[in-house]
Amino acid sequence: MADKTDVRQGTLALMIFKTLETLGPLHGYGIARRIEQTSGGRLVLNYGTIYPALLKLEQEGFIESEWGASDNNRKAKYYRLTRAGRGQLKKEERDWAETADIVSRFLNPGEAS
Amino acid sequence: MRRIRAIFIRLAGCFGAARREHDWNAEFQSHFEMHIEDNVRAGMSLADARREALVKFGGIEPVKESMRDRAAFAWFGAAARDVRYALRNLGRNPGFAATTIFSLTLGLGASLAIFTIADYLLVRPLPYRDASRLVMVWEANQKSGNNHIVVSPANYLDWKAQNDVLEGMAALAPIRSAVLVDKGRPEEFEAQAVSADFFPLLGVQPVRGRLFTREEDRPGNFGTVLISYRLWQSWFGGEDGVIGRTIEINSLSSTVIGVLPSNFHFLDRDVDLWAPLGLNPAENYRKTSGRWMVSVGLLRPGVTATQAEAHMAALAKRLEEAYPAFNKNWTVAVEPLRDAMFRETKTPLLVLLSAVVLLLGVACANLANLLLARYHSRTREMAVRASLGAGRPRLIRQLLTESILLGGAGGVFGLILARWLVLGLRALAPRDLAQSAEIHIDLRIALVALALCILTSIGFGLAPALVTSRVELVSAFRGDSRSGFGAGRLLRTWLVGAEVAVSVILLAGAMLLFRSLVGLEAVHPGMDPSNLLTFRVSLPLVRYRQAASRTQFFQRAIEQIERIPGVRSVSAASCLPFTGGCAGTTVNIEGRAPAKPGEALVASIQTVMPGYFQTLRIPIKSGRDFREADNVTAAPYRFIVNEAFARQFLRGEQPLGKRINAWMDTENPFGEIIGVVGDVRALSIDQEPTPTVYYIHTHLSYPRMVFLVRTERSPALFAEPARQTVQRLDAAEPIANARTLEEVLGENFARQRFSAWLLAGFAAVALVLAAVGIYGVLSYSVTARTREFGVRAALGADVPHIITLVFQSAAWPVVGGLVIGIAGALVLSGLLKSLLFEIAPRDPVTFVLVPFLFAAIAGIAAVLPARRAARLDPMEALRAE
Repeated sequence: MADKTDVRQGTLALMIFKTLETLGPLHGYGIARRIEQTSGGRLVLNYGTIYPALLKLEQEGFIESEWGASDNNRKAKYYRLTRAGRGQLKKEERDWAETADIVSRFLNPGEAS
Repeated sequence: MRRIRAIFIRLAGCFGAARREHDWNAEFQSHFEMHIEDNVRAGMSLADARREALVKFGGIEPVKESMRDRAAFAWFGAAARDVRYALRNLGRNPGFAATTIFSLTLGLGASLAIFTIADYLLVRPLPYRDASRLVMVWEANQKSGNNHIVVSPANYLDWKAQNDVLEGMAALAPIRSAVLVDKGRPEEFEAQAVSADFFPLLGVQPVRGRLFTREEDRPGNFGTVLISYRLWQSWFGGEDGVIGRTIEINSLSSTVIGVLPSNFHFLDRDVDLWAPLGLNPAENYRKTSGRWMVSVGLLRPGVTATQAEAHMAALAKRLEEAYPAFNKNWTVAVEPLRDAMFRETKTPLLVLLSAVVLLLGVACANLANLLLARYHSRTREMAVRASLGAGRPRLIRQLLTESILLGGAGGVFGLILARWLVLGLRALAPRDLAQSAEIHIDLRIALVALALCILTSIGFGLAPALVTSRVELVSAFRGDSRSGFGAGRLLRTWLVGAEVAVSVILLAGAMLLFRSLVGLEAVHPGMDPSNLLTFRVSLPLVRYRQAASRTQFFQRAIEQIERIPGVRSVSAASCLPFTGGCAGTTVNIEGRAPAKPGEALVASIQTVMPGYFQTLRIPIKSGRDFREADNVTAAPYRFIVNEAFARQFLRGEQPLGKRINAWMDTENPFGEIIGVVGDVRALSIDQEPTPTVYYIHTHLSYPRMVFLVRTERSPALFAEPARQTVQRLDAAEPIANARTLEEVLGENFARQRFSAWLLAGFAAVALVLAAVGIYGVLSYSVTARTREFGVRAALGADVPHIITLVFQSAAWPVVGGLVIGIAGALVLSGLLKSLLFEIAPRDPVTFVLVPFLFAAIAGIAAVLPARRAARLDPMEALRAE
């Protein structure tokens, strides 16, 4: 099974969390689409890869799912952040900012104080 | 926590797969509907919209597969599939499965059996409190180098009073005989006399009653006795009323005060009675007695045996200076109790332990070898699987599943085999083992077994799996078996080389032990052990106070047993040949100046009844045998000596007529040597005869004598008539330890026989495995080179040439393995040194024979493949690939 995606390991979960936080409960298709759009088309994402990631997060208790009706009155499975998920989002945001900061200092050593 | 939660959900996910799949399908369906709808809204045709949605999704099956992995433990299902597949595969090739399982069973079974015994003897705690701090304290003679000599009571009392390294010391001594009579039923039991502090020192509590008090441990106090659990159960029916009961021991009445726990024993497992030792601290034992006790000490916490020995040696030095006459050249040796208990067994056990590790190595190498051969024939299957998308890890997992299944089966059968082996070893083993009835395979050993077979099957299945899974698709499909398998072939050559080397080491070891055993069995013991019955009769001194009455009893018993039809002649002696020797003492030769301290002549002393030499068929070299007339109190002291005595102490002087005495009694008059007899290996069959002086019974009238009955046939059948005869003379006299002299002699060989047969068994298994390995490699090589041989045959190569080619391909691993094996054996054979009898560890005969023997076996293993190569039809061979 070769999932060809340029989404970095571990960042997909963060994107899912952020999407759910911003847009509220959403189905898998919507999440995938939103991630692609937000990246401005710079991220190549197979929509299918979203589902194993959602399953994992659900098992870990960060999100929960429920069948509901879409805008067009279609049946769809909606995912929603849990309290633990919100906590995890905060943590991952912090971690990511920290990592990004460190990496950027490495890449631009001149700016280091 | 999140992880654990996920694990539980996944475990639960192993069930209800159908509902889950249904849910996913619905979810994907809604996904596609929404996506297509969006695309159509963006202006695509329905067909384009559908295609775009599918492409964007990226393949439904891989996503589902990934979710299945995630939903349950993927390997769970996959493993079940792998197992089913592997079972089917193995079932298709039962010969292969049987061979691998068989070789693993042998390797694991042998290892586990020996591990079990080693664990029992060397690792498991002894049944005493603070067992690791218990030590034996021996006297050591600096002149003879013997470090395990029994102790003088005088030295024991001084050591006990003056040392700072032992928390306590206790003494015990075997009681020469303990005839128990209860309600008119006599039987002789083994007994030990112990000091009052003995049981408290070991931390042993009685299961009924109490232990000895200090008051009871006084000289001449024989009124109390402790009994073994075994005796309590068998003689006294396990009744509590036994405490306080009065029984008769050696015709003296004694009160049973306690019963010891069932697992209690100290040095000798056969002991059933314990009495107080009754040392008298006021007595000067250096004047009145020699060395005859055993002493045990409890090290102070933090003190090692070595430190204790250094301290005790300084103490012994002071005693040597204070009592030169008694202690010149004597020092002290401290030995951990476990070493003392298993001194004889430890070396053979370590040898066997190394041997089974080697054997297990051969079995594993053979497993790897067979797996490689097996996998080779499946190259094409691997290629098909790889081209259908199986990744390399997946292929390796599949192959490992097979080897683990084989390993598991080998482990289970190995455990079963080990169980039988342990039982068998107990029957075959020297006394240390034979008495250890508790040895059995327990959970820990089973766990070791499990770990071993998983390790071996993964460890030795991995290399073949790695080699095999490196499939080169093109050449594999072309059926070109040579190209993809260079690594496999090289690996197999190495494996066979290693098998050969290890088998050679085992073979050399077994050969050394066997040559030693053959040598030992060929040793002439100095007498004729066939058709001889022996048993012991111990007269209670209370009823046979007069020396003459004892001599008379034995004389009458001998006369009456001689009348039993089928008995040729009967005699008796104070101790039995091959059982560790008799008492030893200083002897003097009249006319020589008294020896300087520490340089006295020491000889073994035997007291015999007339007819002893004739009954045992010990040759009289010069002079004469004892006669009836010598065996009366009024007769002058006369002695017979053995040749070793004449050789070592008289150095060429005429022994007959020389007058000697021995320090055996309060008065030791000089007496004439009237005969010289042949040497008997009295200590044990592998030890040189010692100088011996024979008394006639009347002048050294031991109450305890061993009878020797020479019969026409089947000596064991005469034990019962002999017992009846003895009891007709004295109804309270049992006979003890009735057995044939050949049994006694057999026990002498037991240790050597045990090691030799076991190592030979291991070597035989290793040889078979190595031969299978050689055969496998050659057989493979012939198949792989079919075309080459065809070409050669077509170009006119004759049969011997082809056979030579096949043999050559086996030559490297076999010759290389032989050289390494011989070198290894030369290094390791030193380990066997103490087990060998009159054979050097680097015995040339062994080291010349082993390579030839092995080459012959390798040749046999090579013949079949070579014949196959020679019979190849060139046309068919060329068409083969």
